[in-house]
Amino acid sequence: MLQALFFPGPVLIGAIVAYALWDSARPWLIVVLVGAALMVLVAVLVEPFWRYRVHRWETTDEAVYALTGWLVREWRVAPLSRVQTVDGIQGPVEQLLGLSTLRVTTASSRGAIEIGGLDKATADRVAEDLTRIAQITTGDAT
Amino acid sequence: MSADAEPAPSADPEERFFVPAPAPPLPEDVPDGWQRLSSRVIWVDLAIVVISLLPAGIALAIGLDSGGGGGLWPLIGIAVFGAFGAVADAVRWLFTRYRVSSTHVELKTGVLFRVHRSIQRDRIRSVDAEAKLRHRLAALRVLEIGAGQQTAARESALKLDALSVDDAYAIRHELLDPVAVAADDPAPSIAVDGDFAAADGVDSIGAADTAGPGADGKRPAGAAETASDSPRAPTDEGTATGDEQPIAVFWRFEPRWVVFHVLSVWAYVVVLGLGWGGVALLGTFGIDVVDIVSGLVNWDAIGPLGTAAIAFVAATIGGVLALAVAFVTEYWGYELARVRGQEGTLLRTRRGLFTRREVNRAEHRIRGMQLSEPLLWRWMGATDTTVVTTGLSLWAVDQPASILPRGPLRVHRRVAGEVLDPEHAPLSAALTPHPRAALRRRLWWATLVTLAVAAILGWLVVTDVVPAVALVALIVVWPLTLAGAVVAYRALGHAIVGPYLVTRSGLNRRATVALQRDAVSTIVLRESLFQRRLGLRSVGTMTAAGRGGYDTLDLMRDDALAFATQAAPGLLDPFLVRGGE
Repeated sequence: MLQALFFPGPVLIGAIVAYALWDSARPWLIVVLVGAALMVLVAVLVEPFWRYRVHRWETTDEAVYALTGWLVREWRVAPLSRVQTVDGIQGPVEQLLGLSTLRVTTASSRGAIEIGGLDKATADRVAEDLTRIAQITTGDAT
Repeated sequence: MSADAEPAPSADPEERFFVPAPAPPLPEDVPDGWQRLSSRVIWVDLAIVVISLLPAGIALAIGLDSGGGGGLWPLIGIAVFGAFGAVADAVRWLFTRYRVSSTHVELKTGVLFRVHRSIQRDRIRSVDAEAKLRHRLAALRVLEIGAGQQTAARESALKLDALSVDDAYAIRHELLDPVAVAADDPAPSIAVDGDFAAADGVDSIGAADTAGPGADGKRPAGAAETASDSPRAPTDEGTATGDEQPIAVFWRFEPRWVVFHVLSVWAYVVVLGLGWGGVALLGTFGIDVVDIVSGLVNWDAIGPLGTAAIAFVAATIGGVLALAVAFVTEYWGYELARVRGQEGTLLRTRRGLFTRREVNRAEHRIRGMQLSEPLLWRWMGATDTTVVTTGLSLWAVDQPASILPRGPLRVHRRVAGEVLDPEHAPLSAALTPHPRAALRRRLWWATLVTLAVAAILGWLVVTDVVPAVALVALIVVWPLTLAGAVVAYRALGHAIVGPYLVTRSGLNRRATVALQRDAVSTIVLRESLFQRRLGLRSVGTMTAAGRGGYDTLDLMRDDALAFATQAAPGLLDPFLVRGGE
């Protein structure tokens, strides 16, 4: 059910571009370079697996729940009675891999729950279910 | 309410309550109903033309042409700008008509672009009257008619600029008709939850609870006022007092509070701005201020240190005076009151010496209250109070969510308690302090910050960018950050009080927030690697109102779960069995 997040990709590309640009800069930039390289290594070799191990999600008839993060873990719970929209989002990388992100928003600007890296069929099915249940329960506590 | 009937700060509310007002004819009596704005707008425009021509005229009269006429250009600019504005306003008046029918309010305006706007009367959410100085002198009011969705953007659906005072309040009275609403059973008008529900007449879940602050404790007082009001209501029918009598007045302007507004860095900014402007303006009249000041005393004798001291003292005095004047003009006649509105009660503030500003906040949308105490002024107890509500911008310049000018914590806490919920008084509740581990976390962070500063400084010293003496700064930085850590730790606190959750945190601005538990739409538990070592966890309660979410930082792991469970009753239950998280 869970898929690794392809989060570090852009970071890696950014670092390589930066490296090429900074090559001609003054030597003390080497510190920054080493730091960036280290971060890229961690981002590629450690973070995805760690995240994959941590991430969990669940939906019931009453609420949506998700656990995300690696260094900082976050549990987010929203009751379906407060849900306003259920979106399925597919970024370019996700499209390539047949994945999808489910975003459940509540009336709060900071209350959205994102469940990343679901396979597309699951995401679609869950989105449909949630939309159906959310319609039954009324009121969004605005 | 006309200009001369502004409530004096000490005016007795009861006295004004029973003053009968004359009955102006409703503007609807005209057959097809199209009306012009008040003709006094033209006179005001004429006056503005004259006034804007004055400075240039005076400058010419006393005949300063020393600068070859170049110095006059700003004044000519002012004159042209003012005159053009006034003429444009007069033309606008000429082409503007409005109509209040039984179903719509309509406005036709514009010369080149004809605009015909209409708004359904049952969509009207607010009718606000505003008056700038020129309007008050001419007994005019600008009427802003708003329909729900625009309130967030602080723009009105329709603006009538300007009507005579009597017309303005007659229209407002007719559109809002607060007496009819208040005479009904108050409960249903309050229980409506939000605009969407209001439009459909759908009763939402949790409405009975969200009505809490309005329904608890306050209602008896409100009902009593209504009862005493009703005998005379028939005689007053159709008249516009122009001033819905408040159910309760919580606070009136107190000049003493000026103390809280003058001590600020802004004093120096204001002095610089005013000083520069003054020098430039006087320069156009050929008066060289710099010359005069340097001729005043023998500055060489005083020496640079003395000069700096004198400049500093002068700037301080000038800045404080300027800010005091600003405080008085902005907050004069401040009044925080609860009045009847279309859907339940409104929280109304009025303020301003020259420009009267009035903001109405629907109480059924208020989800809580926040007291915030800035660090530098905590010794004098300075506090800002804002309501946690939907539909008001937090970032607008005029701070519509703020319900009191900055002032002493004691008064703020009392007023906020009375407004929000006198029965539970969540903001006065004793808060549970957070575990020592939270202090340890803050001390660690303080040390880490210091180490980071040390590393950067050390590196700079090694590369000879700064002298080695700079390392002494660390002796200052470490105690400062440690002190900050202790202050931040002491700010932490939380509690559950009746239907509210209360949480307090913040180093720079210690913010105490009371939030209705029913308004919480998402619960977030957060735990960083560092927090896990210390056994801590933070709880975030997300809501639609106010800042969108409020965090309760660093509770012990089990306490965090318990607090989260209580903060949103029933929300976490389905997941608690699954190994706790």
